[in-house]
Parts: sequence; C-alpha cells; structure tokens
Amino acid sequence: MDLKTNITPPPSMEKIGSKSTLSNSAFLAEIRYFFKMNKLAFLGFIIIVTLILLALLAPLIIPYPNDVALETHVENKLQPPSADHWFGTDELGRDLFSRVIYGTRVSFQIGLIAIGLAVLIGIPLGLIAGYFGRWVDEVIMRISDVFLSFPPLLLSIAIAALLGPSLTNLMIAISISWWPWYTRLIRGQVVSLRERGFVEAAQAMGVPSWKVIARHILPNSMAPVIVQISMDFGSIILTAASLSFLGLGAQPPLPEWGLLINIGRNFFLTNWWYVTFPGLFIFISVMAFNLFGDGLRDYLDPKTRDS
Amino acid sequence: MNTKHKPWYAIVLVSLFLLLSACSNDKPAKEADTAAEGQPAGGIAVYGSHDDIMTFWDPSDSYSNEIIAMNNMYETLLRYDTKDESFKNILAETYNVSDDGLTWTFTLRKDVKFHTGNDLTAEAAKASIERTIERGKGAAFIWDPVEEINAKDTHTLEFKLSYPAALDTIVSSGYAAFIFDAAAAEENGGEEWFNEGNSAGTGPYSPEKWDRGSQLILDSFDEYWGEWEADQYQKVVFKTIQEANTRLQMAKGGELQFVSQLPNELIKSVEEADGVSVHETESFQQLVMMFNTEAGPLKDSKVRQALAYAIPYDNIIQDVLGNTATQSFGSIPAGLWGHDSSLHQYNQDLDKAKQLLEEAGVDGGELTLTYVSSDEEERQIAELLKIELAKIGFELELKGMLWDAQWDMSKATNPEERQDILLMYWWPDYADPYSFMKNLYASEDEIVFNLAYYKNEQYDQLVDEAQEVAGVDRDKAIELYKQAQQILVEEVPGLSLYDRKYIRVINDSFGGYEDNPAYPNVVFFHDTYKK
Repeated sequence: MDLKTNITPPPSMEKIGSKSTLSNSAFLAEIRYFFKMNKLAFLGFIIIVTLILLALLAPLIIPYPNDVALETHVENKLQPPSADHWFGTDELGRDLFSRVIYGTRVSFQIGLIAIGLAVLIGIPLGLIAGYFGRWVDEVIMRISDVFLSFPPLLLSIAIAALLGPSLTNLMIAISISWWPWYTRLIRGQVVSLRERGFVEAAQAMGVPSWKVIARHILPNSMAPVIVQISMDFGSIILTAASLSFLGLGAQPPLPEWGLLINIGRNFFLTNWWYVTFPGLFIFISVMAFNLFGDGLRDYLDPKTRDS
Repeated sequence: MNTKHKPWYAIVLVSLFLLLSACSNDKPAKEADTAAEGQPAGGIAVYGSHDDIMTFWDPSDSYSNEIIAMNNMYETLLRYDTKDESFKNILAETYNVSDDGLTWTFTLRKDVKFHTGNDLTAEAAKASIERTIERGKGAAFIWDPVEEINAKDTHTLEFKLSYPAALDTIVSSGYAAFIFDAAAAEENGGEEWFNEGNSAGTGPYSPEKWDRGSQLILDSFDEYWGEWEADQYQKVVFKTIQEANTRLQMAKGGELQFVSQLPNELIKSVEEADGVSVHETESFQQLVMMFNTEAGPLKDSKVRQALAYAIPYDNIIQDVLGNTATQSFGSIPAGLWGHDSSLHQYNQDLDKAKQLLEEAGVDGGELTLTYVSSDEEERQIAELLKIELAKIGFELELKGMLWDAQWDMSKATNPEERQDILLMYWWPDYADPYSFMKNLYASEDEIVFNLAYYKNEQYDQLVDEAQEVAGVDRDKAIELYKQAQQILVEEVPGLSLYDRKYIRVINDSFGGYEDNPAYPNVVFFHDTYKK
C-alpha cells in the first residue's frame, strides 16, 4: 500500500474540512473562483440571498402585515394588481404581495426544519452504518431501502394523510421521506473513508471510535451532503407546496405558497394574478436552489473542477 | 430519424388518430326525423356535478348525493311542488285521508311497469316501503308514524298511522319513499344487485353505464307510463367534474345542459357569455354551525350566545356569497312551513359578546372548527370567523377535511376529541320542518346528525308533538315548532347562518327545467326538452 498517497487528505477536505485553516484572502479567492466558474450558480446564490432577506425581514417590509392572518377586507376582494396592491388582492380582500412575501418565510421555515430533521436522523445513521459495517450496516440500510422504495412525494403524501393536515405534520412527513437519502450518501462516503490511511492512523493511535467519526470521518464526508442539501431545499419547498396544495399541509389563513395556489385556482380564469405570483415565487426559489446546488456540485467534484 | 421507417410512423400516427377520434365521439344521438313516434329523440342531456354521483344504489338506503339520479330512475306516489305548495300525483292516481288523519288510501296508476318488466301493484308498493322500513337505513325514519300498510286490492294501498302525521309529504320524499320492485330485486341479490348498477324503479330513465367517479349514463325507459315526446332526451349523463373552472368552460362550450353549482366569483363570467344563462332560485338549504354543547368552553350557553354575537353575518352574505343567500330566522328555512320571521335574529355586536363572556367568566381560549375542505364558501366563512372570534379572545384553529373525516371526528367516542364548532349544510329529507328540528337538535343515543350533542327533554317533546299533530292541525304544529325554535335561539346549540339560494347555469337549448327545492339539485329530466 502506498501510505503516502493514502494519507493525503481527500480533495473535499481541502475545501470544507479545513476551510478554517485557509487564510481570509485565500477563502475569498476560492469563492471568487467558484462564482467565476459558475455564473448561473452566482445567479442562484443572489436569488437565494434575496429570498432569505425577504423571509427574515418579511414582517418589517410587507405593506399590510395584518393581512397575513389578522384582518380581511372583503369589500376589496379580488382587485387586480395596482399601486396599492402590487400583486392584487385575494378573495377576502387581503393584499397578495404581503401574503406571498410572508409565504417566503413559511416556505423557508418548512425547508430548514424538514431538512434539519432529515439530516439529524440520516447522518448519524449513515455514520454508524458505514463505520461499524456488518449487521448494523445491514439493518440500517435495509430499513432505509424500505423508505427509498417509495417516491418521496408519494411517501410524504401518505404520511401527511395519516398524521392529519397541519404544518408540523407536513414537516415530519417530509423529513421521514428524506432521511434515507442522507443515510445512503454518508454511508457511501464513510465506507471509502474508513479504509483511508489517516483514519487507520487515528485508529492505530487508539483514538476512540466516536472521536474518529466526529473528527476525521464526518468533516471529510460533508461535501456531498452540502451539495445534496442545497439541491434538496428546492425539492422540499416544492413538495411542501404540493402537499399544501392537496390540503395536507398548511391550513388557512397561513399564506403558504401551495395553499395560495390551491385556493387561487378557483379564480384562475377570472383573476389571473392570484395563482401567478405564488407560482412565480415557487418557480424562482426552486430554480435558484437547483442552480446553486448544481454549481456547488461541479465545484466540489474533482472530476469536473478544472474542466 | 431513419427515412426508411417513415411509412411505419405514418401508419401508426394515422391509426392513432383514428383511434382517438373514435374514442372522443360519443355515439351520435338519434336524429329527430328518424325517431319512431312516441320516442324521445332530443339527444343527450348532460348534468355537470362537482361531486361523485352515486354513493348508494339501493333505493331503500339512499341518503346522499345520488338523489339527483335516483329521482330519475325511481318515482314516489306523490311529488311536492314547492311553487304552489301542492302535491302532484305521480304513481298515485288519487288519494284520500280519513277524518281522524289516521288512514290514508292511495289508488295507484294502472299502466305502470317496473324496469324489471313487472307491473306496479299495491302489493309491490307495500313490499318496497316495508323493505325500506325494515332495513332502517338512510331516511327510513320518515315512516315512523306508519303502523300498518295494506294492499286492499291490486291498485289500492292503505296506510294506517299511529298518529295523524302529514303522510302526503312523507310519501313524496326524495329519499326513502321510492316505489320499486322489491321482490325481483331481492330475488336477484338485493343490495348487491343494486350496487352493480341495476334499477328496479318505474322512472323514465334506467341505468345504462356507470363509471365510478366519472359519469353515470341513463337511458330512456321505453315502457315508461308517462308519454315520450320527440323533443325529450333519450339519454341523460351525469358527469362528475370537480374543477369549477372546467365546469364553467364546458357549460360555456355547450357541453353541459345543466350545472348545479359554481362558485359565486365565476358566475359573473357566465352572465356575459352567449348560449348559457344563470337561474337563481330559493332553496331549503341552510349552512348550519353546530357548537359542541358537551365538552369544552361551549358547554355554557352564554359562551355560545357570545359566539352568535361575534359572527359577521353581513360580510358573509354580502361579500362572500354576493347576496345569494339571506340570513336565517331560527332553524326552518324561508319557504318551508313552520318558518317564522318573528324569531330573534342574531347580529354582530362584539361589545355584547364580550359582556356575555364576562358574565360567563370566560376570557377566550382555543377552539377548533371543522369544515369541508373542498367547499370554497365554507373555507372563506371559516377564515372570517377566525378573525372575528380573535376579537373576543378566542383562537380558532381551522381544520379543512373531507366530509367523511369531518363526520367521523364529530362522532368520536370521547367528547374531548370532537370539534368545538362544525360547519355543514342541511336540507330537508322531505318538505317538512321535522327534518331540520328532529335530525339536528333532538336527543340522540347514537350520534348521527345532532352534532351539537344537544339534549333537552322539553325540546324533544315539542318537536315530537308537532310532528304528531302536523297532519291534522298544521297551526298547532307551527306554534309548537315556534316554541322549539325559541329554545334554540335562547340556548344556541347550533345556528343556521343563512338560507342559500341555488344558482344554476343552464344551456339556452335546455327547456322545461324548474328548480324544486324539496328535491335539492334534482332535475326531473322527463319534464325537460330540447328547444
């Protein structure tokens, strides 16, 4: 075995694991290089940052904060877009601009919590399965195969229908359908890493398993997870919107995008703006995450990196 | 593409095209000039419904949306005409009632055949009603006053009652009063045979094809006792089209003769369209709000009164419903006997509501409201209620559900697991206030539709007494119903929000249609014709 090459940290480690060791200017140079290489990823990044700002500042910037859940003005129902109401009004006279922007906050919150839960379940299981192998690996991976055998949207629908329609159950349903993807991803990484010299060296020095996992394996297997998260965020927003559209997620009056479209489709022929704006926001945010995720994958994948 | 494959592609494309065009065309209707005399030749009439058509096929058990098709396959002895408040003879030629109101005698038509090929006799009519009573499902309770049914001769049917109820309204009910060939049906397998899509009725149309969730096709019955004219429809199709926009487009495109329901917002665009028109008629349908009187903060009648004062009635009627409804007085809709516009009507008065809550020592809390998720009006009303109830300190959690799930939750064995407020529609089983007063608020041992879980002996007595005297002393029955309604207004176990008007979209070529709210959403297709 050529020990020298095996001890060399993998390329992913250079970028993620030892980011803190890079000097500030080198880090900025890396970022500049990343965006220069991926113009579309840059566009995605800008949109994501804008959406995050909108989500964070929503209560401050929306013109009619009370229209989110506290007030209706039925006398103003279904007004077309105007200077007062940029996106028009809904069937209860509420300002759609305020509701759609606030919906950004709802969708991002769903995305964060659902992905957080999926990662929290998926990563430890993947680490355990990959590191310890044998029957532990078998049991964990067969369980995750059961979940993977269903398309995520279908599984989420089934779980959400079983738990009953609510926002919390929606997030639970999504994370239950998503965790096995992370388990499988991490397990694959761990299986290849645990044979590497730097891991074997740590083991030989008597470092306890948990420390080897936490210090050496986890940081080095995070790169694909980060790419996966950035790609999944868009899918999860879309799944959440689909479930709410089907009446299995957010409940009125919460301005969740999918729910807005579900209600707005009744007025599709007479009041075009109702479905258009929430639809546009779903489209833009899913696209932005996909562009950014794609760019990140290309950047972190040594095969495509310098091509 | 490789050029030598081109002819194959062409052949496949042409055959596909031919196949598609064959599928898309329904069989062409017989043309008027080729039809035999006394045969309908008006083509096909299509009824667009937002919901599935057939829940029950068994005429004894029917108690749901299938009413629209059943009343074209089956007939009753009499039919109630809401417009002139009279009874029209259908399968009965004449009828009379004894002075004490306890014996009713019907003479049946002599030329009536069932779809099974057998003749209608008094014995068969007796057997069908007895089967319905025996099964005890759906609206079978309407026969409660009937003690005995006798077939005096082939065409004379006699009912002996235990109290002088209004049997003419009972035999004209759109549910549970159908006359059918019970003997033949039972021989063939009873309920199962019905569920396969068979009919044993006497109606003008019999089932031809049923695709669950999609459509039901009825064909005209050649041996129907009523005469057929050339401009009548030889086939009737009930199509389920859930999307309101699709129904609207199909109506505008002339593909539907009749649309039973469209959201208020879409009606405007129909008014401007050519070839279709909008018909508005009064109905007996009310939106009812049931309060949980058995558990939670709404156990206290003062709190329920407070809620009644917090409801934005004017906004609901003007803005959500575009004035296609009127606020209810009491629990009997306008147009139905027993309706009383002198009863107290709640209005929105938040100060009064707060004062009542203070008297009850309640300062808000959390409440759950359930409604049917696909019903746009119920959802909008639920959202308005959430905002208004927040003003008097209640946080309302809205739960949009499918009706079956909503109903199951309301019947949960543990009262704590049930909703606090439930929205639903109610329309009468037959044109009688008893249907509202008994089903919604009379004490029930097993929960069915008293979803307020209300128990009040005095109320029960008043309603039962009113039903017993209704056949002989209508004025007394009205007075008793008034007293019972006053209890409801005072104690508010539930509240009728509004009496709904029916808005129908009708193709201009569709003649003869008249809305009869005693048979909600039913089109009696034999009365209609192609213009």
